[in-house]
Amino acid sequence: MRAILESLLALALGVLVGAAVMAAWGRDPWGAYAALFTGALGNVRALASTLSRSLPLVLTGLTFAVGARAGLFNIGAQGQMLLGAVVALSCGLLSLPPGWHLLVALALSALAGALWALPVALLKLTRGVSEVISTIMLNWVAHWLTLYLVVQKLSDRVVGQRTFTVPMGMRFPVLQGELTWSWTVSVGMALFLFWFLWYHRQGYEVRAAGLNPRAARAAGISVSRAMVLALLLGGVSAAWAGAIQVLGRFPYAITSDLANLGNLGFDGIAVALIGRNHPLGILGGAFFFGVLATGAARMGLRGIPLEMIQIVQGVIVVAMAAPEALRLLRRLRARQKEVVPA
Amino acid sequence: MGAGAKPAPFFFMAEALLLAQGITKVYPDGTVALTGVDFEVQPGEVHGLLGENGAGKSTLTKIISGLLPPTAGRIFWKGKPVRFSSPREALRAGIGMVHQHFALVGPFTGLENIALGAEGGGLLFPVRAEAIRRRVEELMAASGLQAPLNVPVEELPVGVQQRIEILKMLFRDVDLLILDEPTAVLTPQEVDELFPILRRLAQQGKSVVFITHKLREILAVTDRVTVLRRGRVVAVRKTAETTVEELAQLMVGETMVAQAQRSRRPPGEVVLRVRDLRVLGPEGRPAVDGVSFEVRAGEIFAIAGVQGNGQSELVEALVGLRPWTGEAELLGQSLRGKSPAQLSALGVAHIPEDRHALGLILEFSVAENAVLGRLAPFLNPVGGVRWGRVQRFAQDLLVRFSVQARGVRAPARSLSGGNQQKLLVGRELSKSPKLLIANQPTRGLDVAATRYIRDLLLRLRDEGLAILLVSADLDEIFELADRVAVMYRGTFTGILPAEELDRERIGLLMGGVAAEGARE
Amino acid sequence: MNALLQVFPVALRAMVPITLAAVGEVFGEWAGVVNIGLEGIMTLSAFLAAVVSWATGSPFLGILAGLATGALVGLFHGFISVRLRGNQIISGVGINLLGMGAVGFGTWALWGAKAPMLDRRFWIPEVPGLGVSPFVFLTPALALLTWWLLFRTALGLRVRAVGENPMSADVVGVPVERLRLFAVVYGGALGGLAGAFLSLDWLHTVSATLPAGRGFIALANVVFSKLNPLLALLGGFLFGYFDALGIQLASVAGLSGAVPYQFIRMIPYVATLLVVALAIGRARFPKALGQPYRRE
Repeated sequence: MRAILESLLALALGVLVGAAVMAAWGRDPWGAYAALFTGALGNVRALASTLSRSLPLVLTGLTFAVGARAGLFNIGAQGQMLLGAVVALSCGLLSLPPGWHLLVALALSALAGALWALPVALLKLTRGVSEVISTIMLNWVAHWLTLYLVVQKLSDRVVGQRTFTVPMGMRFPVLQGELTWSWTVSVGMALFLFWFLWYHRQGYEVRAAGLNPRAARAAGISVSRAMVLALLLGGVSAAWAGAIQVLGRFPYAITSDLANLGNLGFDGIAVALIGRNHPLGILGGAFFFGVLATGAARMGLRGIPLEMIQIVQGVIVVAMAAPEALRLLRRLRARQKEVVPA
Repeated sequence: MGAGAKPAPFFFMAEALLLAQGITKVYPDGTVALTGVDFEVQPGEVHGLLGENGAGKSTLTKIISGLLPPTAGRIFWKGKPVRFSSPREALRAGIGMVHQHFALVGPFTGLENIALGAEGGGLLFPVRAEAIRRRVEELMAASGLQAPLNVPVEELPVGVQQRIEILKMLFRDVDLLILDEPTAVLTPQEVDELFPILRRLAQQGKSVVFITHKLREILAVTDRVTVLRRGRVVAVRKTAETTVEELAQLMVGETMVAQAQRSRRPPGEVVLRVRDLRVLGPEGRPAVDGVSFEVRAGEIFAIAGVQGNGQSELVEALVGLRPWTGEAELLGQSLRGKSPAQLSALGVAHIPEDRHALGLILEFSVAENAVLGRLAPFLNPVGGVRWGRVQRFAQDLLVRFSVQARGVRAPARSLSGGNQQKLLVGRELSKSPKLLIANQPTRGLDVAATRYIRDLLLRLRDEGLAILLVSADLDEIFELADRVAVMYRGTFTGILPAEELDRERIGLLMGGVAAEGARE
Repeated sequence: MNALLQVFPVALRAMVPITLAAVGEVFGEWAGVVNIGLEGIMTLSAFLAAVVSWATGSPFLGILAGLATGALVGLFHGFISVRLRGNQIISGVGINLLGMGAVGFGTWALWGAKAPMLDRRFWIPEVPGLGVSPFVFLTPALALLTWWLLFRTALGLRVRAVGENPMSADVVGVPVERLRLFAVVYGGALGGLAGAFLSLDWLHTVSATLPAGRGFIALANVVFSKLNPLLALLGGFLFGYFDALGIQLASVAGLSGAVPYQFIRMIPYVATLLVVALAIGRARFPKALGQPYRRE
């Protein structure tokens, strides 16, 4: 399908630009990419690491995607993710039987994500505030709030650089290497949202509201409810991205500079765009970015910083802004053939 | 109001102001809009371009005015071959076009709209308002077109906006003025005011191309007429030498049948009762200013009137998209404060005037559109959609309403306008409504689809449905309505039974003159 | 209470980037192009301005570099939005990512890890006698200039026409695409100036998160201003005050004991949310905002 081709082209463009930058800096790009791919896929351990890194990206990608289906630009996954992580971690302070501990943490984390998404919905519906502005503001508030909690309230008394670690009863069991059973959350959410959007009445209403709000309203669909639902679902998804990063991955804590939570929220945007805002496409896109993330660690050994990934990401997102550019080029060539001299 | 007063000019090609030869236009998606069209305009003539919706009139003039490139063909302007790659070039050469949807900047005043692009100085200088105003006032005197220049145009009535559009072109010294369906937005009286202005322009040596699908207008104001049908020229006639019947036949390719068909049965109970309905418009002024009427089962109650007099707001109120005050009841149940979903459940079906904006979701498939607004029967207990059932239902609709589509999974966008409308109508009727509100149901459709929809409405009426028809097309009103209310500036200037109607009376009512003895 | 008054000199500085970026964006939005990549523009131009100033020894050249960077990125966004008719919001998001990534990479490439504070030699000199940055005067001047361009010149008439109804401009021969490109380059240039100010005249360093959301606060200012550059100036003072409050209070010894540092840093963002939420009346945005123009 044309959509897949466009996504692949955008990916290729990102990779090429990354290579160009590396080459300009005197590093061998192809060697670097080779190292990246072997580092990410070369053996079982690497593959597990790649998959483990992809899992939260699936969730933050779904956040953006479900908002996009409702006609919104939800770029608040970063903040929702941070709060989801810190709330999940805080459940470690409770004393609960193992297994249940994990479920309660996930439940409270979901609640936190939904609550953080709620103001965005309310502001948009009651005061017409653009979600682009409100989500970014809330991202920054969440950033500082999380920092406060991590540094002041939840830090490990012995090891200074991070919070306390998650108790064993609250962790996802390990599957293979870095990969834990947290994959059930990501894949489950993707499958659920796929079913929801195309096989459930509310999902149908969300898609209708996103494609043509006027027609949807005339047909009796509540566009407001669709938007709220999309934002809340997105909030839950992003929160769980943070939760599984903490509960399903080493170091089972949050570092004081929030580094192990990184930019998972923003990464999700590129994942969603590549995946054409479709849950199944997002699974693929997340995997690609997981490869990049794992491989980047390997590239770091060759003297290339992680920021390279962000450049690649940025190029991909910009390319996805104009996927029809490919079509336009084809049309230009056609038009040159069709012109008849006067 | 006879045909042009001047004797017919000669037909030497060399004297033609504009000559288009062999114009063909094929759109990138394969639609053939024009095939081998020859078109010629003499200086100082009013030349009509006649054809029904989709015949290619707009396309031809867009090519002439530089908005679109032709796929093949040549154009000669004042004897020289030209090739306009933008409207700017055409304008500079002296060809200006007033489109159906005006190219005006709403918040700008009339003066600013006229001045745009010809501000009289460098880009970093202020607009030369005084000099421009003087020249425009000269033009207003010479042409007879009057319009206020200091009011934001979006606050002006449509007829006045049109005058500003024409002044805009005159200001740029066009030799050829193209008007695309200019009377679509005017009352008969305003049309009567426009025609002498056009004749005056012709007398002053300018040429006017007048696009319309209304035969009477061709006879009223043009010197010659070119008839297009399905993208080809079928005839060129001198207006004085032809008749309405001949033009109609040329335009449609068959004799048009437009007789009113009266219902045999007397109408039944009152289905919709409206009393003193009021709807507020954009600046707090009433768009609907207290209308009262009834629609009975087995009758078509039509609201006629030039668009922009409150019809849209009235319909939106009745389908729950706008707040309103007053009373409205459907079979005794009040409609106050009900949402579109509730109204639909009560039995109100709605064919919107803009199917793309309100009726269909183009990116959705036929099946998904078929259940838009009516998913409940296809859900399982959890809220999941039984798509198998939906698809069977949609397939059934396609058959029953003769909708041509690639399949129920095809996107609605891939259907033609007529088929989209049939799908829409089928969907609405599948709700087994008690009241059908049809707002401009045949606008933009080809002859076959128009015929189908109108026959369908008549059949539904005979089967006992109550139909509220809103139409700006008088032919449609005459053909379908049992009773007609004419809307002007938010109120009904008269409600008449169909037998008492004639064009003149309706024209007066549309122009605001209340009927004597009309019911409230 | 003293602390609240001490904020004012900082608030004057904080006003600059928020106003400049907003005024530029106002111009672009009148033409119908929305650019949410202001944050990325500010990041990138702050970096390049600092680097050029450091490399050439001339802060003035640094300013020019920042301006040029902003203009070029604006052109890039314009190319995608206007020429390729791409999605303007997504393009803006991509630019933000690119800015972060490029500056992160650049910082690492030049200095290894974190960038050092810029030496005083490379700063913008203060206005003699007044002890205040020249930008404090430049900013209102640019706001006024933009207002005058938009509402008192033929150029402004055309720009506003193109954003409201591009076909109306096309029909009378106004080059729609070219004008939109110009408008977005203008906006980008002012954003670049804002970024240059950040690194050369205020924070005196570079980092991938130097603007810390100010690009988005500028967008909030655009909404607040109802597309009037003079109101954007007023809004810049308002938002700038809260920005400065966050910075100043955090460094005041007595206060940071009572309220944790992180909460004080939240102030600008919460304030922005409140301002946009409480802003009275909706602005009337150009009808064609965000929509590419196609002749059909």
